[in-house]
Amino acid sequence: MTLTVARRMIGAEILKVRRNRSVMAVALLLTVGSIVLMYGYVAIRHGSDPLNNPPAGGAEGLRRGILDLGRFFGMLAAVLIGAEVGTADLSSGVFRDLVSTGRSRLALFAVRLPAAAIVTLSLSAVAYAIALAFAFALPGGTPTPSLGLVLQGAGWIALANIAVAAVSVGVGSLTGSRAVTLTAIIGWQVILTNIVLNVGSLGGARDVLLTPALDQLLPVASPDNSVVMATGLGIVVVCAWVGLSQAVGAWRTRTQDA
Amino acid sequence: MHIPGAREAPIAPQADDTAAARADDAGMPTTTNIIETHGVTKRFGARAAVIDLNLTVPRGSAFGFLGHNGAGKTTLIRMLLGLTQADAGTMTISGRPVPEERAQVLARVGAMVEEPHFHRHLTGRENLRVIAAARGPEAAGRIDGALGRVGLTDRADDRVKTYSQGMRQRLGVARCLLADPALLILDEPMNGLDPGGILEFRTMIGELTGEGRTVFLSSHLLDEVEKTCHAAAVIDRGRIIAQGPISELLQDEHNEIDIGCDDRHAALDLLDGHPAVAAAYPTPDGIRVTLTGTEGAAAVNARLVTEGILVSRLEPVHESLEQRFLEMTSRVGGAA
Repeated sequence: MTLTVARRMIGAEILKVRRNRSVMAVALLLTVGSIVLMYGYVAIRHGSDPLNNPPAGGAEGLRRGILDLGRFFGMLAAVLIGAEVGTADLSSGVFRDLVSTGRSRLALFAVRLPAAAIVTLSLSAVAYAIALAFAFALPGGTPTPSLGLVLQGAGWIALANIAVAAVSVGVGSLTGSRAVTLTAIIGWQVILTNIVLNVGSLGGARDVLLTPALDQLLPVASPDNSVVMATGLGIVVVCAWVGLSQAVGAWRTRTQDA
Repeated sequence: MHIPGAREAPIAPQADDTAAARADDAGMPTTTNIIETHGVTKRFGARAAVIDLNLTVPRGSAFGFLGHNGAGKTTLIRMLLGLTQADAGTMTISGRPVPEERAQVLARVGAMVEEPHFHRHLTGRENLRVIAAARGPEAAGRIDGALGRVGLTDRADDRVKTYSQGMRQRLGVARCLLADPALLILDEPMNGLDPGGILEFRTMIGELTGEGRTVFLSSHLLDEVEKTCHAAAVIDRGRIIAQGPISELLQDEHNEIDIGCDDRHAALDLLDGHPAVAAAYPTPDGIRVTLTGTEGAAAVNARLVTEGILVSRLEPVHESLEQRFLEMTSRVGGAA
């Protein structure tokens, strides 16, 4: 597959998601919408009672934005987009026609993650820009974010979003069902992970979870310190999640009847 | 515009046809047969969908692939396209083995398997862009031409979910044309079309074969295959039970003649025991006689006329493809 073909195929994947109004509307709400609502709410509260409510902006305000985009609502948008990209061809029945072109199945799968990552990061970038605007515009007398925090925050959001999108693309390609993929991954990341994190008796076994592994790389304080691991191990775990999910998705795409 | 409306209308395959020339340009072998399968078998669990299937499709023809629902037509197509794997046997397209060389082979094959599927939230043009992206840069340049060819230019920028069944079928053909195909594989392309749509489709297939492309048409609409195709194969319960030119498939093996006469009962009495007559029975407008040999119609006519029966019509019985198909396929044969 030449670079030109790869670029066109990624563009086609992006087109499919971008033109899906419902998916894009919800993803936009989860990223840009959640940031605007969160900062707006905090700004109103601070404006009404500056002594008892922190300002919306400043370094602390940016910390909230980073967590929102990488760990909470932004993560949900990444799941949604990843699931859509992973399942779109299968659920529509177009996968058969794509295979009939003679293009290798692995190539058909390989372009999904870049497309999901581009769409997810585009939305997160806009949301992060809004968070930065609030952070610098409404510091309320608190320190503004350093350049290091700004860059590290952007990098971590990108990493977290890509990792979650990759898992969603892989699981979506495995199941072929958007509903099943969304339920499985959101259920795992939002509910089961938090339950397992609080089962102390599991000890080091909890190191294999994606969320605490991403937390080790977080440039700000994590809201959950129940699992602490070395940064290197965190990187390995994140890579393992991405690699395994991609391997499973590629295997299924290559072997399933079209 | 070439419209094959009768059996003799379709163009006979030519060794030096346009498709062959295009195939040369693309570096593809220009074999006489564009599809060949040998001993192909496919099982789904204990059930054999295709059994020891040997099929030969001549290049540059419209080839009908006939069978009941579930006979194995789509399974064979899916194997040819690499959508599912054969359990045994070999297959070639343009002389190249598939699935081993499917990437090179399918670059010049357009296929529509069963009902065409699309991303319903995308427009027709966008759906073609998706497939063109997988096919390669030159395919994108064919989008406008393909849309124009199937008469969808005006609706190209509407979402596919607003398309009628016939429009989706036509968009499916447009998608096939992005490959500039030497071979089009169309699986039940006329399903769900109204008579006007079927006529349009028949016209389009005639034009495509007129350009030297091969059209492999899987269908259970026998009348359409008879009107559209030069040759056909009949598959029943996973086995090819007949294949060849339509004219050969329709060859009358029974030496039957229809006779129009004024007194059917008297005619039947006269022919009872006649050496040229194997059997005779009344029909709504006369009698049908099965002759014992290829000669004998004149003797039968003479016998009737000399005995005072007025014969208004005497013509050989030509079976339709549908009649032949029903005779050949075991399902109906078993029921008869």
